[in-house]
Amino acid sequence: MKHLIPEFEKLRERFPAGFESSLVLPCVRRIQEDRGYVADTDIVELALYLGIPQIQIEEVLSFYTMFRRKPIGRWHLQFCHNVSCSMNGAESILAHVERRLGIKPGETTPDGRFTLSHAECLGSCGTAPMMMVNQAYHENLTPATVDALLEELK
Amino acid sequence: MAGRQLLMTFPVTATSHSLDEYRARGGYAALAKALREMKPQDVVKEVAASGLQGRGGASFEVGRKWQVVQYDDGHPHYLIANADEGEPGTFKDRWILENNPHVLLESMLIASYALNVRNCFVYIRGEFDLPYRRLAGAVEEAYAAGYFGRNVLGTDFACDIVVYRGAGAYVAGEASGLIASLEGKKSYPRNRPPRLTVRGLYQQPTVVNNVESLSNVAGIVLHGAAAFRTVGTAKSPGTRLISISGHINRPGVYEVECGYPWMKFLDEDCGGVPGARPIKCVVPGGVSSKVLTGAEIKELVLSHEALWDAGSTMGSGGMIVIAEGTCMVSLLQVILRFYHHESCGQCTPCRHGTGWMHRIIDRIVAGGGVPDDIDRLYYVSKFNDGTTICGLGDAAGYACTGILDKFRDEFEYYIEHKRSKYGGSLECLKSS
Amino acid sequence: MPEIFINGQAIQARDGQTVMDVAREHGHFIPYFCWHPQLSTAGNCRMCLVEVEGRGLDIACNMPVSKGMKVFTASDDVKAHRKAILQFITLNHPVDCGICDKAGECTLQDYHYEYNGEHSLSRDEKVRSTKFYNLSNRILLDNERCILCLRCTRFTHEVSKSMALGVERRGDVSNIRPVEDRPLSEDPYSDNIVDLCPVGALLSRQFLHKSRVWFLQPTPSVCPRCSRGCSIQVWHRKQEWRLKALDPRQNESIARVTPLENPAVNGPWICNVGRDLAQVFERARADEPMLKGRPVGIAAALDEARRIISTARHCVALVSNWGSNEELEAFKRYLGEVFHGFVKQDWQPQPGERIEDDLLIRADKNPNTARARELFGDDAPHFPEGTDVVLVWGEGFDFAQIPSRARVIFLNSYLQPENGHADVFLPISIQTERAGHYTNFEGVVSAFEPCFEKKPGVSDAEALFKALAAPARGHL
Repeated sequence: MKHLIPEFEKLRERFPAGFESSLVLPCVRRIQEDRGYVADTDIVELALYLGIPQIQIEEVLSFYTMFRRKPIGRWHLQFCHNVSCSMNGAESILAHVERRLGIKPGETTPDGRFTLSHAECLGSCGTAPMMMVNQAYHENLTPATVDALLEELK
Repeated sequence: MAGRQLLMTFPVTATSHSLDEYRARGGYAALAKALREMKPQDVVKEVAASGLQGRGGASFEVGRKWQVVQYDDGHPHYLIANADEGEPGTFKDRWILENNPHVLLESMLIASYALNVRNCFVYIRGEFDLPYRRLAGAVEEAYAAGYFGRNVLGTDFACDIVVYRGAGAYVAGEASGLIASLEGKKSYPRNRPPRLTVRGLYQQPTVVNNVESLSNVAGIVLHGAAAFRTVGTAKSPGTRLISISGHINRPGVYEVECGYPWMKFLDEDCGGVPGARPIKCVVPGGVSSKVLTGAEIKELVLSHEALWDAGSTMGSGGMIVIAEGTCMVSLLQVILRFYHHESCGQCTPCRHGTGWMHRIIDRIVAGGGVPDDIDRLYYVSKFNDGTTICGLGDAAGYACTGILDKFRDEFEYYIEHKRSKYGGSLECLKSS
Repeated sequence: MPEIFINGQAIQARDGQTVMDVAREHGHFIPYFCWHPQLSTAGNCRMCLVEVEGRGLDIACNMPVSKGMKVFTASDDVKAHRKAILQFITLNHPVDCGICDKAGECTLQDYHYEYNGEHSLSRDEKVRSTKFYNLSNRILLDNERCILCLRCTRFTHEVSKSMALGVERRGDVSNIRPVEDRPLSEDPYSDNIVDLCPVGALLSRQFLHKSRVWFLQPTPSVCPRCSRGCSIQVWHRKQEWRLKALDPRQNESIARVTPLENPAVNGPWICNVGRDLAQVFERARADEPMLKGRPVGIAAALDEARRIISTARHCVALVSNWGSNEELEAFKRYLGEVFHGFVKQDWQPQPGERIEDDLLIRADKNPNTARARELFGDDAPHFPEGTDVVLVWGEGFDFAQIPSRARVIFLNSYLQPENGHADVFLPISIQTERAGHYTNFEGVVSAFEPCFEKKPGVSDAEALFKALAAPARGHL
């Protein structure tokens, strides 16, 4: 984490004084972008850096769905299966992807390329079904577009 | 076009979100007017006079919220735009963030001026990528142009803004849960009192408004509350951004003038239901609002009061159209799974109630339902209503009883025959 | 001074009070799990829902009083909702009271009988979670029993400030968890969370499956482990439940120690050291008087002691600061003329023990230094030229410091090598065998009462002092 401290210092300047605790989410997010996950040592170092209780960071990491403490596949496919996506074929597209990749939601392909997850509403209902691949939204999915996308993602 | 428009007044292009184009459309004139011609309390009065209702779900009047804040109470005040759009079926704030971020920023500046706010925040849901980049880009443009920072437009007014990204929690869309999250903690909502306008972010007076609510402020200030009130109905002034999805030919975000006929909106603006199938029911404003049947909405107009009288609400403007042939048991299963997944677990009724309802509906769908399961769903819904710290528990109950009230026979059928009356399907193939 | 009405009774409330505060002051009981007078308001259990006329239901613990409000603590609506809240709380709570240490003093058990009394309405499996989670070297956690009232987490954040506990995950799979790599074991107040837990989720390892609580009775006492003198309850087996066949030692042993709330001294808390009194009081006991290591009767020992004293030129006494006010005063009264008394530090900080903090723990690890010094002064023990008799009362003194030609009279409770080196050894009773008072560092006097019969062969120090002062053969 330590090499990110200059960035964190810049971030800190944007917040009013006394908002150290608020930096938890942005710092954790940045650490995860950097390392792919948040390591135990990151937690200890960030708590020390921000001067906040370590337990607060541990709570945050387990509360929010976007944070993780273990590495996952290079491409994280998160399928929305909420109302509008389900009404537009999310489950069948997910089943298609499961068959193609040979994994279920919550699993990673043996080659470490893909991790598959369920997601609840990602605010993309008008372009359902959709999935998130790492940061990016992919909308109006069909088996064909998903296949093409999976081909692209190495 | 569904009536007059206030926000979607320009063609969306690859550059229409930029500061230059926003200014070319008359952007930041309202800020100049507020700073140069109006006292802060005049701005609050104007917004109160407009009758602008919150667009996030609770429809609480923006002006009334603002009036609670004492301009000169010696405390730092904070303003937060709630961009944690997560109510299933809702994606309208995303439209503003992606296509007109400056109208939000300008409105936030005006609000900050009115409420004596030095630091304001946009709490944007963590998964949003393009909306975040557009908004963050707009913030940089606005800083470079001198709209944020010290001596805004050459006046004494100073204001800074932080775009704060969430990390995946529906409950962070609840104002106090949002504040906990913005304080870098798990998103546990807070008991009221105190109200957030009294003790909010870091225990200081804080106003939390939805993105769309705030985005109306610039127009209200520029053209006046009276002009705003000429649009919409007497009790629902202005327009609503409706995000429509589900079984509908042209899903998307529409700006609808309050009072616009509902069926006209669905049939003419949104192209009707695929295959011209009849409408079974509609989720009017996010899954937390009670469904209304096709028959119920026939004569209704889209306004807060009309939906209220019909026993539901405009909510967050997240409309989901459900065609005949859709299995409501399976639909409720999706909804209850969602609430179970998103319950923060802080207070007893919601922590256990959402899981309880989810397990019951799963068992029904798996063919293990018993007749008193329906009563049990009602029981859990009833005792989640008004007993929880935040509205998530109530919402789970409303969503559940809204469907049970109107489609009880489908649940009874499912329980008795151990299968869906409609093949368990949620899909409805789009007409090609 | 807003006037409010609770169940029809007009009450003058004070500004800033909550309905919970006012109701408690005036004897209207409102049930609660998460609320605690010494912790911040969490308002998460929802058990304290009350009805306010015209406003419906809300929680009493977070409801400020307002003029003229009419509160009902047991309306039909309130009762129905309480019942439902208990249905929710017991939804995933195991029905394992039969093997739960908390049974008999469990708030959930009590409320279930009082306010619900019905079987669960659920027909689905309970959510399973961790059993016997190792929270620290002193505490186990049963997550299935936990009702997430968050008293324990709030305690570690607000009172002990170890920040050792938090909540992992969310919804109905939320779990209390300790901060990683800095375990709760380092919190010297951790065991208070076992008492705070309204259910059997937090379990004391010391007490685990040791006894049903209804076999036990508490005796009010004072913790002797530092000069704070916290009020405590020493729990031991009730007379009518004494064991004959199983392990009769249990009849004479301390089952557990809990705080006795005392706003003047310790509030509702004590430290972990105070919980471990058995480690002090249940050491091997001395029960025979001795002359130079040779067991004798008490009369012979007293005769020899008196003879030594009567022939001495200069007598020094090292007075115990574990002695009660009564014992110290008795020494002063009976032997104060004869002996030059100094206060002795019976106990020193133990390895790993917290020395001092700003909550309760004091650096002086003895209970009655204050009263002892009032009577015998502040001078460190020393032996003036010509000292030929030294009376040592209590443990903790290095006999090598005693002038070699001085004769030694030793009063002690435990089996220790020095006992046999003394010219006269007299075994004395311990705190749990007698009544008395200690004066803490702030001058607050607290009483302790006997829990057990005095061990055969030992005497109370107070009686010995009187006997030693008697001119002729005195009897105890």
